[in-house]
Amino acid sequence: MYVLPSESPIVAPRDSTATGGSLTMDRRNTRPGTDERYQRRHSGTDRAAQVYGVRLSWRAVHIEDAELIARARSGDVAAYEVIVRRYQDVAVRTAHLICPETDADDAVQEAFLKAYDALPRFRDGAPIRPWLLRIVANEARNRRRSAGRRHGLALRVAEIEPTRSVPGPEQIVIAAEQRAELLSALATLRDDDREVLGARFLLDLSELETAETLGIPRGTVKSRTSRALARLREALAAIEARAGGGTELER
Amino acid sequence: MIDRPLASLDDAGLEGALRSLSAAIDWPTAAPTAPSGATAGPDIATRVRVRIASGERVGGARPTWRLFGRRPVRRSIVLAIAALLALALVAGAVGLGLPGLRITFGEPPPSLLLSPTPTAEPTERGTPTPTPTLPPITGIRLDLGRQVQLDEVESLTGVPVSLPTDARLGEPDTVWVDEAKFDQLAYVWEAGPTLPETSERGVGLVLMRFAGRTDDEFYRKVLGSGTRLQTVTVDGHEGFWISGEMHFFFYERPDVGHVDDGRRWVADALVWYDGTATYRIESALGRDATIEIAESIE
Repeated sequence: MYVLPSESPIVAPRDSTATGGSLTMDRRNTRPGTDERYQRRHSGTDRAAQVYGVRLSWRAVHIEDAELIARARSGDVAAYEVIVRRYQDVAVRTAHLICPETDADDAVQEAFLKAYDALPRFRDGAPIRPWLLRIVANEARNRRRSAGRRHGLALRVAEIEPTRSVPGPEQIVIAAEQRAELLSALATLRDDDREVLGARFLLDLSELETAETLGIPRGTVKSRTSRALARLREALAAIEARAGGGTELER
Repeated sequence: MIDRPLASLDDAGLEGALRSLSAAIDWPTAAPTAPSGATAGPDIATRVRVRIASGERVGGARPTWRLFGRRPVRRSIVLAIAALLALALVAGAVGLGLPGLRITFGEPPPSLLLSPTPTAEPTERGTPTPTPTLPPITGIRLDLGRQVQLDEVESLTGVPVSLPTDARLGEPDTVWVDEAKFDQLAYVWEAGPTLPETSERGVGLVLMRFAGRTDDEFYRKVLGSGTRLQTVTVDGHEGFWISGEMHFFFYERPDVGHVDDGRRWVADALVWYDGTATYRIESALGRDATIEIAESIE
């Protein structure tokens, strides 16, 4: 049941971040091996589940997206709020990869406002996440240009160790100092290189999603990723040479 | 255990290392956080919703119009077609000399001339009865709740009336209470010689009282890029002078968290918390004069 809070004072959740990660998945409708990635990508969907009072399956979420889009197009701002809440965290991450830290939050807000206005032009049936992220990326790039300076990478490694004890099949466990090296090396890359590596491996977007988010052909994603990895390797070599040797790596 | 530098990894190894790095990054979240790590304001979804609801939109989402079939059509095209059809009908009716339709050219008859002000002077047709006009209710379009009398405020809300004693203001022209928003109070003064008009026609100043407190971190984090924020002092309390192109506002209550008033502001605003409630004055007087008015509240 979808409730439009138009007759009551609009009350924001005290902590929207606390809602992430507890979505109950219907495993029968979930593609094998995608649960964890799905939950990571769709943190905040349980908020929608709270609003709708239903359990959302992987397939159902896309149906809900379409329904929310249709409602938002007809002027239902609360429905659009649910869409934003669903994708705001990945949007914030995307903006932080591209523009200065001080501008990222504004960039995301402006991007979601622009996306609301552009909803009538959204292609029915298309996934909305990459479409939203493309608007976010464009807004973040505009702000990077306006800043008129090279801002590097505003990301930081958490002071506490990541909670995931078992790495995913595509992950390699690296030591804390290696994380810092990797982040430093990423920060030295050109914007294009950093964006494609960030989208593919830090945001965990597919090639197709990366292409749409960055506004480049899928083939360019492949070639640019390959070149960016080569440049990342060079940057790492330089950093490691300065540090005076390699560090341990555990696969 | 592999003992080799990251630079020696192949592409697959570097990709794996980057994925691992992602899990270790201290990613920012969509809700502002205080240095303590606590959430310090509404998340982006809430802010976006409020900005849209308050009328601040880049271009404006419009309902999709559909003419024939399912393909959406621009509203302007639909209206243009409708106008052309209407024009064609009129032209056809005139051309056919249909009864009931006559078009004449020349000065309009006096009875059709609109007068900007009602007149009571006698005319050739006799003495018209002046049409009684009700004075506009100051602030009626601001969605401030229910209009009440000044002497009802305390009995309705339990809050004693506290008003500015500044000479530029007399008693408020209208008073509003919104019970659905925790007895939000609004006093509205009409624009006049000493009170320049705000962006709302006829409104010179709006003083509001919210039963909650503001959050400094929220203001610094969530105001739009087109908004200027200055820290000021109001009667010994820290406040904010907020000016620029965009305004929206939240305050915090211990029982429900962040609450927004969902209304587009009519002017630059002074916001402060006096230890018991949050106040906001919207006026076109400028920062210093607005602070003077705020400090005259008794």
